[in-house]
Amino acid sequence: MIQKLRRSTTLLSVTALTLGMVSTGLLASNAEASTSTPGVTAKTITIGASVPLSGVAASYAPVSAAANAVFKYVNAHGGVNGRTIKYIRLDDCYDLAAYGLGCTAGASTTTLSQNKVLVAQDHVFATVGSLGTAAEDSVLSYLKQNGVPQLFVASGSRDWNQPSIYPGTFGFQTSYVAESKIFARYINSHFAGQTVGFIGQNDDFGADGYMGLTDGGVSISSANDLSYNAADAISGSTSDIQQDVATLQANKAQVVVLDSVPGFTSGILTVAHMLGYSPQWIISSVGSDPTLVNNVGEAGAISLDYFPAPTNKSDPWVPWVRKVLLADKADFPTFTASSVLTGNEFYGAGYAVAFVEALKAEGKTVTRAGFLKSLKSTTFSTPAITPLKYSSSNHQGLLGGVIATVAPNGTSAPTLVVEPNTTVFTTTNTKSSPIKVSTKLAIALIPSWLK
Amino acid sequence: MNWLGSLRKQETTHARFICVLGLTILALVVTIFLPPVADSQLASGAAITIVILGLSWLIGWSGQISLGNSGFMAVGAYAAGIWAHHHATTPLVFTLLLATVAGAFSGLVVGIPSTRLRGPYLAGMTLAFAAAITPLAQNFTSMTGGEGGLFFNTLTTPKWFLHQFGGINAAINANAQWSADLAVVIAGVMFFFMANLFHSRSGRAMRLVRDNDVAAELMGINLPRTRTLAFVVAAAFAGLGGALFTLLNATVTPETFPLTLSITLLTLMVLGGIGTLSGAVIGGIIYSFSPNLVSYVNSLTGVNPSSNLGANMQGIIFGSLLILTMLFAPRGIAGVGLKIKHSLQSRRKLESVENVN
Repeated sequence: MIQKLRRSTTLLSVTALTLGMVSTGLLASNAEASTSTPGVTAKTITIGASVPLSGVAASYAPVSAAANAVFKYVNAHGGVNGRTIKYIRLDDCYDLAAYGLGCTAGASTTTLSQNKVLVAQDHVFATVGSLGTAAEDSVLSYLKQNGVPQLFVASGSRDWNQPSIYPGTFGFQTSYVAESKIFARYINSHFAGQTVGFIGQNDDFGADGYMGLTDGGVSISSANDLSYNAADAISGSTSDIQQDVATLQANKAQVVVLDSVPGFTSGILTVAHMLGYSPQWIISSVGSDPTLVNNVGEAGAISLDYFPAPTNKSDPWVPWVRKVLLADKADFPTFTASSVLTGNEFYGAGYAVAFVEALKAEGKTVTRAGFLKSLKSTTFSTPAITPLKYSSSNHQGLLGGVIATVAPNGTSAPTLVVEPNTTVFTTTNTKSSPIKVSTKLAIALIPSWLK
Repeated sequence: MNWLGSLRKQETTHARFICVLGLTILALVVTIFLPPVADSQLASGAAITIVILGLSWLIGWSGQISLGNSGFMAVGAYAAGIWAHHHATTPLVFTLLLATVAGAFSGLVVGIPSTRLRGPYLAGMTLAFAAAITPLAQNFTSMTGGEGGLFFNTLTTPKWFLHQFGGINAAINANAQWSADLAVVIAGVMFFFMANLFHSRSGRAMRLVRDNDVAAELMGINLPRTRTLAFVVAAAFAGLGGALFTLLNATVTPETFPLTLSITLLTLMVLGGIGTLSGAVIGGIIYSFSPNLVSYVNSLTGVNPSSNLGANMQGIIFGSLLILTMLFAPRGIAGVGLKIKHSLQSRRKLESVENVN
């Protein structure tokens, strides 16, 4: 009995002690109250991104590196309204770190864990240009809960365009649905009556892409609607792809639309080559970059492009991006004046320029609410060849692009995309919204303060 | 105060309650002082602790080897995920209970056939179960969200808790601490439950079945029922742990619970101490802070974290730790603690005997 009593007393004192500590701890955190915005000081603004720098999707690493180069360039020229931009890029291995595959971020790293570091440790103002549909889906709720804007998500999913649920989330590139609607129009005008096949990644990417094609009036028989699992690369099996290509060949599909990442695009083209099958390939912008696909079979494939062709002599952004990258020896150590620019670099430079412009437009006082307001009212001048414009109801970003062709390169893998004409197609995600056609590239002039 | 090892039979539920309460309060105090990132690491660790408790019960006490615990976690996680995705407003307790029941049911499904299997065959069967879960999750797209998985709202921090914090990072700090506190309390409740279960009639029956099933049968213990029960309990714990893990991360995808997680869980359990309660807690803490340990070792040795060697540092550290544990401390860190305590106790007993003489 006495022992019991003694225990109860111990318990009581422990509880009292704890409560005391809790209240002091809380008081301590109350004392550090201040009114400023996280990540913003008089001299700096800190932003971050979780991106694949190693692992399966490491080929996208130059995207955020190019953005970093733009921020460094801007900082070297006086910053934005007196503030320099600090861009923290953390490797999340496309949220697949647990699988290894050359990932050097640590096995228990996830997109969420890296975002927690960005938000709760580095106290970033916003995440800018974080990459991947599934990866960024996994942090939608966390970033919203903590009031951190999720800007220019590098993915064409419609998930970034839900202003009523996620008011702080914004996409950047043309959505998969819009892209496929534009492909559908092209197929109906150039390949009318031909059998169309489809291979898509088994997630939003493929599902949205397929929806865009059917919304755009292309009919694909269910036998020719195929999907592969991205996780197959992880388990080392590509049996899906081999079966899919063989099925399309047996069904005599003359036009094949691919919604695949570059590694799978290359795998599909190789299998088709081995089977002696050569349909007209139409490949999503996400998976068509010839330097990443690195496959001879890609010559002549059609894609969508929302950035200038690197060979475009009349676009002032082409030499500007080159100049910015040349100035950043840390991020681009091997980049020379004769290196080929790819879509990756234009992409990163594109959202970085947009961020800088919105920040400049907000003025000297920077708050998160003020920035989002500025983002929705700014008319951007970016390297993109279609206008970038956000509003209260549109958080998607770019709305279209031009039809581009992968240029043959003899017996070597193609390295260049050419834009045979200047017709720009734009549309939105809804089925009923028409495709607008403009015969002129929307080349924006470089603002004088950025030159 | 015998919480370091497994609690003794003669210790009352009351004493156990006080031990667990004290531990839980201690952990809650710790969350106040930890930075927010460490708080969220601790929260995941608490969820893993619950899973290891179940695993320790299954392997350590009933002697059945399971490589399927990532699968049980996935079942609980998807049950909670699918429910939370469609019914965002249901109380958390209900979602967690649902996941526990779903986990227990999957344990029953795996447990019944497993009564006829032993050793490597049983391990193989549970492995098959864990391997089957991923493709299942990838396929019933309308329910599971397919490859992309499901994502839902993060746990909401109550207003009264939020109001205790100030400063520009108030919400961030409050959210991180709330999730850690919540996870710690749930882990505390499950720890208490398992501590009692270890010393219940079923717990004793379980140990007898492990050590000598013929003797157990002679004493009237129903072997298949006892073995199946071990699976059901372990799977219920794993289901709850998986659900908590998922709710903390606000997302569940087929990639969240890979087969390798089963191996990781086994490693953590062995490092902590197989068949001990405190071993599960130690395992959970190791899980929480292993990234910190890895980066510390990298900085200590000057290895570039992005190099091939640096990337494999986690495997190197835990692989060698596991080998060392098996060689020198087969009952893990908790076992070492127990040994020290027992030697101290026997010395004290010896002294008292000498004093009498």
